[in-house]
Amino acid sequence: MLVDLAITLVKILFIFAVTVGFFAPVLTWVERKQSALMQDRIGANRADIMGFTVLGLFHIIADALKMFTKEDFIPDGANKVLHTMSPIVALVPALLTFAVVPFGGQYTLFDKEVNLVISDLDVGLLFVFAIASLATYGYVIAGWSSNNNWSLLGSMRTASQMISYEVTMGLTIIGVLMVYGSMKLTEIGAIQENFWMWGIFLQPVGFFMFLTASIAENKRIPFDAPEAESELVAGYFTEYSGLKFGMFFMAEFVEMVTIGAIMTILFLGAWHIPFLTTATLLSWFDFLGTTGSNLVVMLIHVGVFFAKVVFFIYLQMIIRWTLPRFRYDQIMKLGWKILLPLSLANILVTGLVILALN
Amino acid sequence: MAYYVNRRAEMTWWEKSYIPEILNGMWLTSRRFFHNLFGFIPFFLGTEKDRRIMTVYYPEEQVEYPVAYRGRPVLAQNEDGQPACVACGLCEIACPAYCIDIVPAENTGKQNQYERWPDVFNIDYAICIFCGNCEEACPEEAIFMSDDCEISMLDRKQMLYTKEQLLTPVADLQKRIEFTRNMYAKWNY
Repeated sequence: MLVDLAITLVKILFIFAVTVGFFAPVLTWVERKQSALMQDRIGANRADIMGFTVLGLFHIIADALKMFTKEDFIPDGANKVLHTMSPIVALVPALLTFAVVPFGGQYTLFDKEVNLVISDLDVGLLFVFAIASLATYGYVIAGWSSNNNWSLLGSMRTASQMISYEVTMGLTIIGVLMVYGSMKLTEIGAIQENFWMWGIFLQPVGFFMFLTASIAENKRIPFDAPEAESELVAGYFTEYSGLKFGMFFMAEFVEMVTIGAIMTILFLGAWHIPFLTTATLLSWFDFLGTTGSNLVVMLIHVGVFFAKVVFFIYLQMIIRWTLPRFRYDQIMKLGWKILLPLSLANILVTGLVILALN
Repeated sequence: MAYYVNRRAEMTWWEKSYIPEILNGMWLTSRRFFHNLFGFIPFFLGTEKDRRIMTVYYPEEQVEYPVAYRGRPVLAQNEDGQPACVACGLCEIACPAYCIDIVPAENTGKQNQYERWPDVFNIDYAICIFCGNCEEACPEEAIFMSDDCEISMLDRKQMLYTKEQLLTPVADLQKRIEFTRNMYAKWNY
């Protein structure tokens, strides 16, 4: 009992360390540096400690210090409770989805089955979408409680964009469910041990639609109508400063990691290496004993999983710095007139193929 | 000849499907990214030739401005230390912002070979608009636009430059003098 609790705690700590401790701060640096390299610039590199700049990595510390020391400003006429609450409401769902995201398979360590997922829910996939859609409240409340017209407009846009693209997302997921016949994320991951069962081969159209919809959910550049720097100052977080602003920012980066993780599990073979089953890997490290070989394979699988997540983050970043913004009506048109019928057609075709194969 | 831009260009079916064009764009940006990522290493070793990123580290590195660049106006100083200016006041009149202030001095005895010179010659850079009209108006090749654009002070009063601060040896201004001769000769001054 205590051991189980300890294992769960270690897993939670690991997830926190990876998302909040590693990915969120490093991604702020990566975004600056990558965009700079892409546009033949150098990027942030002036923050130094004793003359060492380390490729501008100290900007992370500088940013954190700046956000800690800034004045926490609440505008006149704003709803103080909601204004303070909304960044938390925006950030927590992004972290909470990781509760059901498996970052590795099942391993036998010291005669104990270790499942690398914090909570192996039967309705894992539904849980992810239920929690992710809660984040919308954070953004809508943020805009409404700021007592600012720009913020309100931004949050209205957030609401409409989220609703439009969640429909597509949900319908795309149905195709995946039909193929795998399970909502358990660990099971979906386990099925993809066979390279030709990867979601990207079984649901190629679904992959692209899910990618598009999830970028729209994250409100990054091609779909950045809620923030719209050129139209709405900064959208829903115009009136936020200091650490609250930082939390919105962190929510965006954590969401990027979440999207990467979900995409990896659903479409890119989760923690599996192509053509290498877990049994083969285990037999390679047989000389280390059961625990030793399991440990090595576990580390490999976790590494592979996060490598795939990094690939998806890279994809999202490169899309953000490649494409121009959509106009607001174009976003709605793409969501309702193109993606929605396509996702319905995807379900139909998937169903027909499954029927024909049986 | 009128040239019409077709603003209603119809996209082809291929372009309308978004995805190939998006992939095309991502291929371009990725190529630049990896190109520069590996170009970073020779850059850090400091070989200027392999440099693909053209950012200039401004305070440490300086760009050489073209001759036509109009920085702050300065007074030409002859070899004997006297200003070439004869205090005719044409630049004062030509100045649209009224930033030049001249008090002439005349040769009463035989102090030197000059007949007239400015006793006071002030330019207030806080007002100056860097139009170059003073340079154009000057008949004596005495006032020139230099390539210095770093005029920042902690106090507005320090922006008022006096004659001593403005004087620059003619030798330093040769390029600009040649440029103005070519430039204004065209217009038959």
